[in-house]
Amino acid sequence: MKKPRILVVDDSIAIVNSLCTILQMSGYEVDSAFNGSDALRKIHSNDYDLAICDIEMPGVSGLDFLERVRRDYDRELDVILMTGFLDHDYFIEAIRLGASDFIRKPIDTKQIIRSIQSLADRRKNRFDHSEFYGHLDEAEFNFYFNPKHFSKFAISKVFNSFLRQNFRINPMVINGLLICVDEMVYNAYIHGTLELSINERLMEHSALQELINQRLQLPEIAHKRMRLAFSINHPLQTITISVEDDGKGFDYQEWLNKVGKEPQLNLDEHGRGISMLYHLADTLEFSKGGRCVTISKKIYPAQ
Amino acid sequence: MKKNKKDNPMNIELSIQDRVANMKIEGILNSENAHLLQEKLAAVLTSDAKLLELDLFDCRNISSTGIGKILLFYKDFISSGGEIEVIRSSNSVYELFSMLKLNQLFTVNLG
Repeated sequence: MKKPRILVVDDSIAIVNSLCTILQMSGYEVDSAFNGSDALRKIHSNDYDLAICDIEMPGVSGLDFLERVRRDYDRELDVILMTGFLDHDYFIEAIRLGASDFIRKPIDTKQIIRSIQSLADRRKNRFDHSEFYGHLDEAEFNFYFNPKHFSKFAISKVFNSFLRQNFRINPMVINGLLICVDEMVYNAYIHGTLELSINERLMEHSALQELINQRLQLPEIAHKRMRLAFSINHPLQTITISVEDDGKGFDYQEWLNKVGKEPQLNLDEHGRGISMLYHLADTLEFSKGGRCVTISKKIYPAQ
Repeated sequence: MKKNKKDNPMNIELSIQDRVANMKIEGILNSENAHLLQEKLAAVLTSDAKLLELDLFDCRNISSTGIGKILLFYKDFISSGGEIEVIRSSNSVYELFSMLKLNQLFTVNLG
């Protein structure tokens, strides 16, 4: 079983060094940060199972760090908070924000190793399917959306959880994939399904929502569906995502020719999404008269 | 079902002082939350600000809808004598802005 990868965060160099040494000697993979901002940046671009963070730090405090992790990173990264004292208010706030455990300074080596092991066991039982999926040659998932219910869900959030909980993929790659999925599904919804014009799409938010609700009542719109297919191929280290709608399609070849050339500054509302897909993904293809868009991307497993 | 803050992991802070608007965006700006940016940018447009400083250091990525909101604002703001500068940006946003040639429109600083 893979040892948890741990990020140690404290503004005290001495504490970071001693804790890192203890954890490395216990066989864990360890990284460190000396303030909350640096720690958040590291979480942005690396994959950790656990963060051990001091509560009292200048700037982004341990509680700020915990709040940002919970808000911006949907997967349930375990966070152990360290403190020299356990103030009642801090304790309540940390529980509310979702702290996984607390350790008191000075650090008791046995206590922290017990805490890490317990969290690792709990995590394994809770939701980590990455080891199972990681041993499959290929896995495919198909999602069918009814547009009437689509706007109730934040697709990026759902996909963020799906990718982080099931696969070990570099967070930077996940980041790019989330933008691609957002782009593909949003286009299938706005153009293919609701058939909104450019001017309608630019309406003020509440007016646009009202228009969307009206469109969704029309039988010819309500019967449409959107389909998303996700597959991961481990031998090829590739993820492929397709989104298909029941719309009229569009002349994609013209756009592919444009974005294939040196990208030009584009101030128009047309074509920017295709340009972004082209540059964020490794491959971009359209089929079924433009109703179906497919991207693929190398995954580079999390370090 | 009502959406809550966790459904859209994005936060925008805006302050306007001495004709300078400072906007800090955290998280992922996507099609689901781009209207929140539109509202903040509209507030800048109706203020006396002549410079918008965008802090995108903690912004993990921006969808084309979000870029569209910035460009629409850019056209209106420039025509009324305003300027935009990205004072800090994350690697992914910096690469995206460079790819879309937005750095030809305004200064984009990394990190």
